[in-house]
Amino acid sequence: MYGGDEVSAIVLDLGSYTCKAGYAGEDAPKAVFPSAVGSIYQAGATDEVKHEKDSDSMYDSENADKIKTRKLYVGTQALGYRRDHMEVISPIKDGVVVDWDIVDNIWNHAFRERLLIDPKEHPMLLAEPSFNTPQQREKAAELMFESYKVPALFLAKNAVLTSFASGRATSLVVDSGGGSTTIAAVHDGYVLQKAVSTSPIGGEFLTDCMMKSLESKGVMIKPRYSFKRKEIRPGEFQTVDLDIPNTTESYKLYSQRAIASDIKESVCRVPDTAFEESGYANVPMTPYELPDGQTIEIGADRFKIPDVLFNPSLVQTIPGMESFAGSASVSGLPQMVIESINRCDADIKRELFSSILLAGGTASMLQLKERLEKELMEEAPQAARVKVLASGNSIERRFSVWIGGSILASLGSFQQLWFSKAEYEEHGVSNIQRKCP
Amino acid sequence: MDAKDILGLPKNPFPATQEKKPRPQKETQRKPDGVHREVYALTGGMAPLMPTIEVSHLKKRQNTEKEKISWQWLPFTSSARTDNLHLYHWVRVVNGVPPTGDYSFAKYNKSVDVVKYTDEEYKKHLTDPMWSREETDQLFDLCERFDLRFIIIADRFPYPRTVEELKSRYYAVTRALLLARAPSPGDVSGNPIVKEPYNMTHEVERKRALSVVLSQTKQQEQRDAEILAEAKQIMESRMASKNAEDVELPVNQIGNEGSEATAHAESISLLNTNHLSSSTAAPPTAECTSTPASLRMLRVYLRTHALEQMVQAANSSAGLRTIKRVDQTLQDLGVHLKPKVPTKSVCAEHLELRKEILTLLNLQKQLQNREAEASVNRDNSYAETPSTPKRSFRGDVERSLVPDSAGFGGDRVGKRDHKRKAPGRFTDAPPSPPQSKRPRKLKSSDG
Repeated sequence: MYGGDEVSAIVLDLGSYTCKAGYAGEDAPKAVFPSAVGSIYQAGATDEVKHEKDSDSMYDSENADKIKTRKLYVGTQALGYRRDHMEVISPIKDGVVVDWDIVDNIWNHAFRERLLIDPKEHPMLLAEPSFNTPQQREKAAELMFESYKVPALFLAKNAVLTSFASGRATSLVVDSGGGSTTIAAVHDGYVLQKAVSTSPIGGEFLTDCMMKSLESKGVMIKPRYSFKRKEIRPGEFQTVDLDIPNTTESYKLYSQRAIASDIKESVCRVPDTAFEESGYANVPMTPYELPDGQTIEIGADRFKIPDVLFNPSLVQTIPGMESFAGSASVSGLPQMVIESINRCDADIKRELFSSILLAGGTASMLQLKERLEKELMEEAPQAARVKVLASGNSIERRFSVWIGGSILASLGSFQQLWFSKAEYEEHGVSNIQRKCP
Repeated sequence: MDAKDILGLPKNPFPATQEKKPRPQKETQRKPDGVHREVYALTGGMAPLMPTIEVSHLKKRQNTEKEKISWQWLPFTSSARTDNLHLYHWVRVVNGVPPTGDYSFAKYNKSVDVVKYTDEEYKKHLTDPMWSREETDQLFDLCERFDLRFIIIADRFPYPRTVEELKSRYYAVTRALLLARAPSPGDVSGNPIVKEPYNMTHEVERKRALSVVLSQTKQQEQRDAEILAEAKQIMESRMASKNAEDVELPVNQIGNEGSEATAHAESISLLNTNHLSSSTAAPPTAECTSTPASLRMLRVYLRTHALEQMVQAANSSAGLRTIKRVDQTLQDLGVHLKPKVPTKSVCAEHLELRKEILTLLNLQKQLQNREAEASVNRDNSYAETPSTPKRSFRGDVERSLVPDSAGFGGDRVGKRDHKRKAPGRFTDAPPSPPQSKRPRKLKSSDG
C-alpha cells in the first residue's frame, strides 16, 4: 500500500559544510552548495536590500545603525569568483548556528535562486543537529515563520532522518560530515539525547591535516585564482603566477582547502589496521596532479590522514597541527560508538549494535565501513552481533539526512504532524518543543 | 522396405531431411526449460496462442470511457489535525466532482489512552513518598506525548530516574486509579494491569543480568566456551564407554545367526559377563540372541511385551497361514497361545516350542512338495522333452534338514532375512522378498 501523499514540501538541510535543499519525494536534493558565504564589508550607510522584506524589519534597522554593511555572496558560483576583500565565513561553529543573518541569506538563496519557489506556498521540513538546543530551534522557527511566512514547519533531527532513510526506526547513527562527527542513538524514531556524542574531527579537519602535511613536505598548493596557464606549444602549458593583492587570507585558505579536499577524496583510504609510521614507510606513492600542473606523490599520508578518525592522537605527529587543542579528550570512532551504546538502556543495546548506520560525506571514504566493523567486533561483547551498514551509493551516504527528510515529508501519515502557522500564532513558538520532539 | 532391399534400390530418397525437419521444430518447441515444459505439455505440446489485438479496438477505445477523470491540485484538511491547516495535494477528480470524505491517512492517528487524574484522586489514592506531584504530572505528560515509550521518556525526563522506576510509578498509578474508579473490583479484574502488577525488582534484576552478559569481555567468553567444551568432552567420553558395551551386543547377535550351539553358549556367557561387568540394566537379560533392536532401547519392559515382540519377529518370516497352523498346533498340544505365567524360563521354552513347530511345519511342506515333484518326475520320465531342467544341486540341502534346536536356521533356508545376512549362507538366486507369503519352491531339491 503506497503510504505517500505529496504536498510539495521542501526539505532543507543546512550542514556545516554544504547546504542541501530540494523537494520532498525526490531522491536527491536539487540544490547543493557550500554553507560558507563570502562577505564584503562596505563602508557607507546605504542599505543593500537583500530580498523583498518589510523595510522596517529589525535587520535593516540594525544595519542602518552600523557604518559598515555587509554584502553576502552565497552559492558556488558567487563564491567561486574571486573578489577583492571578500572574506569567507561560516555561520556554523561546532555544529550550532552562530550567525542567523547568514543563515537567512543562505535560505533565501536556496529558495529564490536555486529552487525558484515562493516559501509561502510550501510546508518546510528543516533538518537540525541531533544536539540542538531549544533556543536554536525557537530561533529557527521564528525566522521561518516571520520572514518567509511558511504555512507549516517541522524540525527533525539529523539522526532520525538518516535512520528513516535506511528504513529503520531504531539504529545508531554515525554521521561524519564536514564539520564534525556525531554519534546518536535513535530508538523508535526518537533520538536518545543522553547518548549523543560529538567529536570535532570531520571532513574539514582531515582536509586541514592533509594541507599541513603537504606543506611540511614542501608542496605549495596554489589556489586556482593565483595562476594562469598559457599554451606555449600544443599540449604544453606554462604556468604564470598572477599577483593579486587584496585577496583575503580566508579566501586563499578556502581555495586551497578546496584543492586539498579533492586530493583527500580521490587518494585517501582507511588502513585496515592502526597506522604506524614504520609499517607504511615503503608504501608505493600515488601521483596526483594539481591544477597548476604540478604532480605530487602521496605515500603514507594516504593512510595516515583517515586514521585520524580512529586515533586522534595521530594528529600530533602532523607538523603544523600540534596546536589542536582537544586531541587529549577526543577519542576515536570505535570508542565513541561503544561509549554511546553503553549509555543506552540494556534492552536496546543489542539492537543498536546490529544496526549501526554510516552517513555523511566523510563516511564515503574507502574501507571505512570494514575497518569500523572490525574494530567494533573486537571491543563489543560476544553476545551482540555487530553490523555496520552503509548504503553502497556514495550519493546516498552524503545526502542520507536529506533523503530521510524527503521520505518523511512525503508520507501521508506525516501530514498531521506539521507545526502550522496557526498553531504558531496561537500558542507561541515554544510549542515547537512539543510538536517536534 | 524388404522389396527395395532385395532389389537393391535406394531407400526413401529423403528420409534424412524429412526426419531432420520435424526434429528441430520439436526441439524449439521443447526448448523453454523448467516449468514451461510441463506447461507446454498441459496445452498439448504447443505454445499458447497470443490473444489477438485488433487495431480497431485500439482506435475505438479512447472515447468509450464512461467517466471523465482529471487530476487537480486541491486543498485538503485532515481530522487528525486540531487546527485548520490547508495543505494541497493532487486529487483524482471524477466527472468534475472532487472526492469527499476525510483525509485517507487520518485513520492512522492512533494514540495510547493514558489515564488522567484529578487533584482529589491524587490526594486520595496516588500519593507516594518517593514521588512528588510535579514529577508524577511530568511523567504522565511525557507518557502521553511519547505513547508509553519508556526508554525515550526516561531519556527526556528532567529528573534522574531509571526506566524501572518510571514504569513502576506509571503502572502503580494506573492500577490504583482503575481500582478506585471501578464500581466493583470484579469489573476490572480482567484488565492486565490489575491482574499482573509490575514487578520492579524482577525487572531490575533482569536488566542487571542482561548488562552483565553484554559486558563480558572477549577473554571471559573464551574461557566460558573452553569450559563448556571440556564438559562436553567428559560427557561424551562417558557415553562412549557405555556405548562400547552396548556395541558388543549387536555384534554378537549378528555373529550368532545360524551358528552352532557352542557359539550360542558363548554368546550367553559373554552376555552374562557383560551383564556382570556393567552395572546398567540396559542389556536385556532374557532371550539372548533374538532380542529385537527395539527392546534393547528400553531399560525396563514387561516380559509379556517382550515375548510378543519376539513371537512377531519369529513369525515375520512365515506366512499368515503358517502362523495360524502354528497356533492351531499349539492348541492341539494343549499349550496356551500366551503362557499363563510368563517367567523367564517359561517364555524361553514357549518361544522354542513355537520355533520348533514352525520348523516342523516347514519341513512337512517341503516334504510334500518334493514328493509331488518326485511323483511328477516319475510320471514324466517317459515323456520326450524335459521341459523342466533339473535344477542344479545347490549344496545347502543339508541345512534344510538340520533343525537346529538352537538356531532356527532351518526355516530360514530359502528365505532371506535381510537383517541378518551372513555371507554365502543364502541362495543367491532370485531373491525372494523377506516376507514371502508361501515358502519358495525349493530349487535346491533332492537331486
